[in-house]
Amino acid sequence: MSSGHVREELGGYVLDALEPGERDAVAAHLARCAECSAEHARLAGLPALLGQAEGLKIPAAPTVVEERLLDRVASERGGRRARRPRRWAAARLTRGRALAAGALAGAVLGAGVTALATGGGEPPAQVAGYSLALTGAEGATARAQLEPGREGTEVHLWVKGLPPGGEAVYEVHCERSGWSASAGTFRADARGNAYVVLTTAARLGEYERIRVVRRSDPPGTNVLTGEA
Amino acid sequence: MTPALPRPAEDAVLVGRLRTDETGASMRRLYRLYGGELFGFALNALGDRGGAEEIVQEVFLRAWRHAGSYDADRAAVRTWLYQITRHAIIDARRRAAVRPGLPHHDPVDETESIATLELAMLGWQVAAALERLTPEHRQMIRMAQFRGLTMREIAEHTGLPLGTVKSRTWYALRSLRLVLEEMGVAPS
Repeated sequence: MSSGHVREELGGYVLDALEPGERDAVAAHLARCAECSAEHARLAGLPALLGQAEGLKIPAAPTVVEERLLDRVASERGGRRARRPRRWAAARLTRGRALAAGALAGAVLGAGVTALATGGGEPPAQVAGYSLALTGAEGATARAQLEPGREGTEVHLWVKGLPPGGEAVYEVHCERSGWSASAGTFRADARGNAYVVLTTAARLGEYERIRVVRRSDPPGTNVLTGEA
Repeated sequence: MTPALPRPAEDAVLVGRLRTDETGASMRRLYRLYGGELFGFALNALGDRGGAEEIVQEVFLRAWRHAGSYDADRAAVRTWLYQITRHAIIDARRRAAVRPGLPHHDPVDETESIATLELAMLGWQVAAALERLTPEHRQMIRMAQFRGLTMREIAEHTGLPLGTVKSRTWYALRSLRLVLEEMGVAPS
C-alpha cells in the first residue's frame, strides 16, 4: 500500500483472505480511491462464481464415447469410418527395430515401464497419434511421438543434449492440471542422447503436457517440457 | 503460460469444418476439448455414468447435425455446447420421469430443477475457466477460496513471500475474469 493504491491487496480482499487490520485498511482506501474501487468492482463478483465450481473436477472425456460418436457420424454420413491399417501394420513391423534402438541409445529402467505388447492384437482404432517437440532450459531438446496403445499411450522419445555420460535417471510424466501419470524412466548415453520407448497408462487426450524430470532434482524442476 | 484450450475463434473454425471434414478430425478435436467438462456436467446432473455418456454422445451428434446453424456472433462454442447439453439433460429427465423404475425421476418442480441445472452449468464453466489458468494462479485461488486460507497462511504453506502471494492472487483473479469474459461468463 506504499504506492498509495491497494490493487495488489484486492485479490486477498475479495477472497476474504486478508488479516482483519489489512482488510480494514483496504476498505478505508476503497472508500476514497475511485481507481482502486473500480478495480475492486471488476473482481468482486468472482467469489460467488467460484463458489459454484467448488468440488468440481473436470473428468477425462470418455474414450468409448469418442469412438461411438465418430461411428455414428460416419454412419449418418452414409459411409464407414476410414481405417488406417497400413499405419499400424507399419508400426508393428518397426516396433522390434525401435526397441532395439532404444536398448542401444539409452538404458530404459525397469520400474514404471510397461512392457510393450508384441503382436498382442490390434490397438484401439482411430485414436490419432502425433508428435510434439520438447524444450528445456539446459539446452536439451527432444521429440516425442505419441501413439495410442491397448494400455494407454506408447511414448517414443528422442532426446539430445543431456549432460553426457552421467548416471542421472530421468522420468517422463504425462500430465494435466492436478494429475500426472509416469511413463517410466531412462538414462542418457555417453553422448547425452537417448531414444526410448515407454508406455503410460494415460490415454491420448487425457493429458496436456509431457514433462521430463531428473529424479535427483528437487520437485518441480523440469529438464524438458512440451505441450501435448 | 499458454492457455490449455484454444481461443474461441479457433473453436468456431472447428465447428465450421464439422460437416465437411470426412476424416472426423474436427469432431475428435472438439470432443477432446469439451467432452470432459460436458460429461462431468451431465454425470453430476444425472448421477448415472451410462446416462451421462449417452447425453454427451447425443450432444456432439446434435452439434454435428446443426453445425450449419451455429452463429459465432451469438455465442461461444462452449456456451452453445452447454446449451445443447442442458436441453439434452432436461429431455433425459423428462423421459425418466415417465418411466418408473429408472433413477432420477422424482416429480420435482421442473422450474426449480432447471434453475439448479443453470447453476450447475455455470459451475462447470467456472471449473473449466480455472483449468485455463496457470498452475501458480490456480493454486492461489484454490487455497484462498476453497481451502479458506489467508494470504499469510498461504505464504507460510508455500514458502513464498507474502507480497508475492498477494500480487499473484490479484493477477490470478484478473486472469480468471478475462477467461470468463472470453467464455461469455462475465461476473456481474
